[in-house]
Amino acid sequence: MSDELDRIRREMHAVLQQPGVRPDDSLQITRRTFIHRSLLFGAASVGQTFAWWPLLNTIDVAHAAEAPFKFAWISDTHLYPRSLNTRFVDKVVRAVQEVQAMDPPADFLIFGGDLAQLGKIEELELGVELLKDLKIKKYYIPGEHDWYLDMGKKWGELFGQPNWTFDHKGVRFIGLDTVSRGPDYWTAKKMTPEERMGHMATLDGTVAGAWAGVGREQLDWMQKTLADWDKSKPIVIFSHNPLYEYYPPWNFWVRDWREVNDVLKPYTKVTNIHGHVHQVLYNEIGSMRSIGMLATSWPWPYAPEGVPKLTKPMIRVDPGDPFDGVGWGTVNVNADDKVDVEYIMWGRKEVFVQSPEDHDKSIEEVIRPRIADNQYPWENP
Amino acid sequence: MINTSTFLCILRRSTVAGAVVAAAVVVGPASANKDPVTPKQLKLYQEAFMEEVRKGDLLFHGDAAMAEQLGVKLSTTGWACAMCHPMASDTHPHAFPKFQQSMAKFATLRDMINWCIEKPNQGEKIDPESEAMKALEAYITWSNTGSVLVPGKY
Repeated sequence: MSDELDRIRREMHAVLQQPGVRPDDSLQITRRTFIHRSLLFGAASVGQTFAWWPLLNTIDVAHAAEAPFKFAWISDTHLYPRSLNTRFVDKVVRAVQEVQAMDPPADFLIFGGDLAQLGKIEELELGVELLKDLKIKKYYIPGEHDWYLDMGKKWGELFGQPNWTFDHKGVRFIGLDTVSRGPDYWTAKKMTPEERMGHMATLDGTVAGAWAGVGREQLDWMQKTLADWDKSKPIVIFSHNPLYEYYPPWNFWVRDWREVNDVLKPYTKVTNIHGHVHQVLYNEIGSMRSIGMLATSWPWPYAPEGVPKLTKPMIRVDPGDPFDGVGWGTVNVNADDKVDVEYIMWGRKEVFVQSPEDHDKSIEEVIRPRIADNQYPWENP
Repeated sequence: MINTSTFLCILRRSTVAGAVVAAAVVVGPASANKDPVTPKQLKLYQEAFMEEVRKGDLLFHGDAAMAEQLGVKLSTTGWACAMCHPMASDTHPHAFPKFQQSMAKFATLRDMINWCIEKPNQGEKIDPESEAMKALEAYITWSNTGSVLVPGKY
């Protein structure tokens, strides 16, 4: 582990993992597997040879009030124009069909960001068109891929305010914008919008820097939003990036996780559900728990360091199967104070590693950042 | 005991080997490995290597200009190698050669690179001896500097 990461990790541990502090017991993650009814879709619509064994790993969000309900999550579709890439389109279509087929239906859908790959109008509009087939209420938060071509202009026109809040059956939901406050790496280097987007769209790029953050004014807004909320009632916060520090070089974090924790500390039932990592992820930070969701587009490997110890890793993916390692998810909110997330990973009976060899880190590796994006013409002044 | 034909065989081989050594001395670069290496030489060698790493890094990250310069089409889907392998993670150059399940054969890293170009990326397979292949290999191995050799590991 690098010295800097080690220092941050120790600090996070000291600040957040105070003795005896952990999420409320009612918020334990549970895992269960069963064959999803979307099985029928797969068999009926495409003659693929891989196994149709989607696995659902559910999180039931719990609270003692009102009726139980379920909502769905889709994120990280990374759509290119249809003329360039139809695979990603096919996967969104499938996810939409499956969410639409949920019985009982989901109360609403959260779209967790990165609808587009390069932020183009055509890509964002394609996403809207594909999601139109889903008739339930939809809420959107932005991803960095949606934002940095026109700095959120088109996204705002399509979806409105990037951060929002609403109450539903005794739960307060908050959507955060963790992507729009990146440091200005483009003006001094006179980048075109496409160049700016290109650097932002490269996960392991070294130019865009620590772009993921909540920002002071949004933190203040969140604090105000929660001020009238009972400290023991459930809160679910959606963000594109995880609200803790996992692996900063890939922005698997928000840089102001300390301040986020300060705001959330008084509340005992906080669940953060996030995208961006394209992988199964679970962590507990102080009294908050955090759950990473699958992408529909492609899975990222686990970062070389910093994977939370509480994460049971997802299974190593078959690179020859475009439907492996990806999917969508649902969140069940039960009346008996339990929270369940269901991972729907297409083509898999088992989402989680079954043996050390199932883990993508079963071959140990030491890797380092790229260099070519920091050389002419983009070298740092 | 050595019989006549074995003796003649050894003699012939020794003659051939001697001729090769003599030719290398006469024809080969006059300074090759004869003088202590100089800092200038080391710098040149390193620069030659890092230039290939740089080219490989650009190819790996889907740089269109570099692909054109080296005459390759690594993807037709918008997908680039780095989208599944940020920082060349999960490429495992230190585990090759090995039996590669996805190809159902004993494979080298170059075989695997070409498989990824053809399957997920839907690009055009490249000549294993081409500069593009060597550059990709240079970048992937450079990025994994420090990884311990585990040839054959699944």
